[in-house]
Amino acid sequence: MTGKPMASDFTDSELAAYLDEALPTDLMSAIESTLRTDRGLADRLAAIVRRRDAGVHSLGEVWRSARLTCPAREQLGGLLLETLDDGVAEYVRFHVETLACRQCQANLADLRAQAATADPGLAERRIRYFQSSAGYLRRDS
Amino acid sequence: MSSSSQSDVLLVRAIRTGEEQAWNTLIARYEGRLLAFVESRLRNRAASEDVVQETFVGFLTSLPHYDENRALEGYLFSIAAHKLTDYLRREGRRPALPLSATEDSQGVWDVPGSARVASSLARSSERRQLEAVALQAALQDQVEHWQARGDWRKLMCIELLFVRGWANKQVAGELSLSEQQVANYKYEFLARLRNAVRRQGLSEEVFPELYDAEPEGA
Repeated sequence: MTGKPMASDFTDSELAAYLDEALPTDLMSAIESTLRTDRGLADRLAAIVRRRDAGVHSLGEVWRSARLTCPAREQLGGLLLETLDDGVAEYVRFHVETLACRQCQANLADLRAQAATADPGLAERRIRYFQSSAGYLRRDS
Repeated sequence: MSSSSQSDVLLVRAIRTGEEQAWNTLIARYEGRLLAFVESRLRNRAASEDVVQETFVGFLTSLPHYDENRALEGYLFSIAAHKLTDYLRREGRRPALPLSATEDSQGVWDVPGSARVASSLARSSERRQLEAVALQAALQDQVEHWQARGDWRKLMCIELLFVRGWANKQVAGELSLSEQQVANYKYEFLARLRNAVRRQGLSEEVFPELYDAEPEGA
């Protein structure tokens, strides 16, 4: 995105994804930046919230929340290892790079990190997560 | 159900019984991708780890209400997204929205580009859930059809049109298709979905994109 973004640069589907923290990070930042000065953009977001509250269904939102086309983690691994069939590889690359699915990008980043050198803080981090949350474990009655 | 989904279901069931090893396993399995998701936005490792920590706590506190039919990974990512949003608001990076932007307290909404203004339909949450499930099933059916046939271009085209809301021209340029091809794919896709929705006896008004004369991005 070149130049200062304007409200018209963003589609309603992208604004809905913004509300769900699901857009590529550069678009998330661009919308946040534009929101500070563009009342029209804020109005559009508010209208999307009202539509949701009214129970109007959006194809894009259902598609996105159900992750209908997100590749399996194994397929993302196959992309890194170059073991996917051409058509599948082309789609997975599109999903990660063009559609820029944040969750799949995170999965891919995690797979790359696991394949790289060992993370020295990993064990300590996992212990901290466990210790800070284990108190919330409870038995179902 | 995939083997990884089955594994997650068993893991969650063990966690529900308070099994600490199962909880450790879930943390180990998902913390890396959750951290990558959060850190891509925050660009701050310490803050990102805090948000992931809150995500795990959020999962456990919401566990009594978690539906095993919902994919675990997606559920964890949605919690992380909420925790991330909360953090960004606290930091002042995410502006609050004026939810009463137009003076209308009746839930009246407009579909952009449409002349129709519809009143709020008083439907129960169960009814809305039924509609969402029906739409999801129709979409999934179409997606699986394209995947099975290797119709990757069509899939990409429809995804850019409806998930990103891109205009036909932009999609055509990105995928090296003609605008006519894009329009044809869109027409065919919407026609199939309308049929699926009609077969379910669902109201057209709650699926405006299927029936707009000028859908977004045309």
